[in-house]
Amino acid sequence: MLPFTYALRNLFRDPSRLAQTVGGSALVVLLLIAAVALNEGMDSVLSASGSSKNVILVGKGSEESIERSEVHLDAESAAATSIRGLDGRLGTTAVSGEIYYQAPLETESGHKDQALLRGVLEKALLVHTKVRLLEGYFPGPGEVMVGHLAHRKLGVDADELSPGMPVKFGDSRFIISGVFAAPGTVLESEIWFDRNDLATLTQRDTLSAIIIRLDSAELDDVQVFSLQRNDLELAAMGEDVYYSKLGVFYQPIKIMTWVTAALVSAGALFGGLNTLYAAFAARIQEMATLQSIGYTRFALLVSLIQESLLATLTGTLIACLIAYFLLDGCTVPFSIGTFTLTLSPQVIFTGLITGSLLGTIGTLPPAFRCLLPPLPKALRSA
Amino acid sequence: MSFISIRSVTKSFTKGKTTITPLEDLSLDVTKGEFLALMGPSGSGKTTLLNLVAGIDSPTHGELTIDSRNIAGLSRAELTRWRAKHVGYIFQLYHLVPILSAYENVELPLLLGKFSKSERKEKIMAALDLVGLTDRAHHRPSELSGGQEQRVAIARAIVHDPGLLVADEPTGDLDRESADSILALLNQLAGEHNKTIVMVTHDPKAAASAHRTLHLEKGQLIEQNLQS
Repeated sequence: MLPFTYALRNLFRDPSRLAQTVGGSALVVLLLIAAVALNEGMDSVLSASGSSKNVILVGKGSEESIERSEVHLDAESAAATSIRGLDGRLGTTAVSGEIYYQAPLETESGHKDQALLRGVLEKALLVHTKVRLLEGYFPGPGEVMVGHLAHRKLGVDADELSPGMPVKFGDSRFIISGVFAAPGTVLESEIWFDRNDLATLTQRDTLSAIIIRLDSAELDDVQVFSLQRNDLELAAMGEDVYYSKLGVFYQPIKIMTWVTAALVSAGALFGGLNTLYAAFAARIQEMATLQSIGYTRFALLVSLIQESLLATLTGTLIACLIAYFLLDGCTVPFSIGTFTLTLSPQVIFTGLITGSLLGTIGTLPPAFRCLLPPLPKALRSA
Repeated sequence: MSFISIRSVTKSFTKGKTTITPLEDLSLDVTKGEFLALMGPSGSGKTTLLNLVAGIDSPTHGELTIDSRNIAGLSRAELTRWRAKHVGYIFQLYHLVPILSAYENVELPLLLGKFSKSERKEKIMAALDLVGLTDRAHHRPSELSGGQEQRVAIARAIVHDPGLLVADEPTGDLDRESADSILALLNQLAGEHNKTIVMVTHDPKAAASAHRTLHLEKGQLIEQNLQS
């Protein structure tokens, strides 16, 4: 075998080629890391948003979209009294009738953007158990409570959505009463209104959905209730099932992410391969000389792979560092919430595997082209 | 007994639909320690013959025995292993690895054997001493003159003590003075170190320094000259 230092020194033969190989592999790895982190982030926020202990009651035929759903106000008390085995605290059953609405919201600076609004009463905290108040208090009339990532969804500074600051919905002005967290869920991007305020503003006399938290009861019990109360025209589904269905809805976006990453990566990959072809083609005679001395083609291939791996893994390291400083912890808004990009072990592992494959499999075509010509011909090559 | 024995060797290859036969039914013997020059016009088959003798290529037909081993039927991998032990190749354009120092270039054949670092150092310094370049051991090829580069290439060819040296126009890219010193060195290797040398050259003066000169034309031996 050739000494490792031979591969190491070959790297620095042509600094511009080295920069191209390292830069190309860094770009490919960074794009894949970003694509995996985006998909993981979206999957994770959707799966964390739905609890298997929660059941959603929506209007029949509106199972695909809670926003379009209409549920009679009476259904809330009917569910709370008719279904046995629901969770609850201090005599209050964990049944929360809620209104969902998407509308433009204006902040103090005049910035106006589409916001996710939820009209709730205090018992919403019994069903949304991940919600924790970070500061302030639960909103009363004329007040709102904001998720701590709502500013990302609205595209404003966090300071604009801090307690005491005003927001405008239409011509009505509301004061922010508190900020809440609901780690890893879409709730963190929402703005919670007093339910009656939101009903008035949106001129609704119905709810969008009723969230029920189960204790000993099961989904079947809620479904039986929805069938028994045929007059209320309800459909019951697990909250986790609802969010996993939303995941399917976002599948095209995920595919587009992969396609974009793949297209840009393909460009960088072919650029990198071209660089390797040029780098190795210039050394056909040198490889032939080493073969004439007695080095096998396998030994030379190993050396070429070592050389490429050094470059691509350097690129991978750079990509991981860029991802760590620029992507890790970054919040990405999407239509129903915001998710956080995380450099999980799986994401880093994907980057490492990609960098290693670029350095090994990517090296094979140019290396074969360099090592396969008959020795007499290769020795005469310029 | 011959060190190199070539019996009815033919080398042919196809290029498109044409079959080219650079060597046809050639027989030749070279004794141990002989310095043989091959001359002839371009396309006469001298480089093909040199490559066959060096184990760089294999004959299409015939027997090619070197130091009692028939190498005609060896596979590419077997030939590679055989070359590593038995052949030193000297090229017209030296073919040194530019990123390695003279010392490291000479070390390359030894890395294929089981030598300790100190053994390698001893052999490398002995080879560089033989070619008169111990003071240039740590220079890169770009820091050496053409004559010095060829000396490093010779040191690389002899460092693992092969019985056979093949040289493809070793003086073709050198000025007269450097060429003469390289030829003197090759003569010394044949005379004092009992190396068998086969050299291709276009230069009659270079050929005159060999023990024997063979002239090839169209793949056939047409003349032999024995130097005094």
